[in-house]
Amino acid sequence: MADLLNDQIKGQVREAFAEMKAPVHVLFFGEEENCTYCDDTQQLLEEVVSLSNQLEMSVYDLNANADLAARFNVDKTPGMVLAGKDGDDLIDYGVRYAGIPSGHEFSSLINDLLRVSSGDSGLDTKTRAYLKDLKEPVLLQVFVTPT
Amino acid sequence: MAMESEWVQAEAIEATEFQELAARHYVSGVPNTTINDGAGRVIGSVPEGKLVKELQRVLAG
Repeated sequence: MADLLNDQIKGQVREAFAEMKAPVHVLFFGEEENCTYCDDTQQLLEEVVSLSNQLEMSVYDLNANADLAARFNVDKTPGMVLAGKDGDDLIDYGVRYAGIPSGHEFSSLINDLLRVSSGDSGLDTKTRAYLKDLKEPVLLQVFVTPT
Repeated sequence: MAMESEWVQAEAIEATEFQELAARHYVSGVPNTTINDGAGRVIGSVPEGKLVKELQRVLAG
């Protein structure tokens, strides 16, 4: 299959990734059936991951790797988790995507990879202070479209 | 926000692939952010302060 990203985009992304100082591990979850965009998403992620030596990726099946999916709260395919790394351990920040991150979402993905790598959310001090004191679960689901 | 608290999970969902879920949350335009499965909602791309406010409202309720 031909590459999904053209050379121009690859160059831009590679340039953006140049500032990455810490690794990010992408966990991809696919499914054999009923997943129109699994193959494309996996390929897209593989191409993105190849653009920086700070990025690595592992590929799982939502059903065959159900325990891991549950641990990372993945229940949709294609699903992906952007995890930080502490030595060999993964840091789950609770940042994930469901569906192919193309179009506008592609830039969100690149930005999120940079944020997870830096460990810096980029939020206001006030927002951070509020979030630090949270004591109950919060699920934010941001609905988006590629255009 | 998920990065700042172990209690917060953030999921970007491609609405056209998960139409049933989007429809359940009455998503008609994007971006559309739901908090705790519909307890709160913010429509559009808003400053973070507005999302925090809605989060505070949900958690106070």
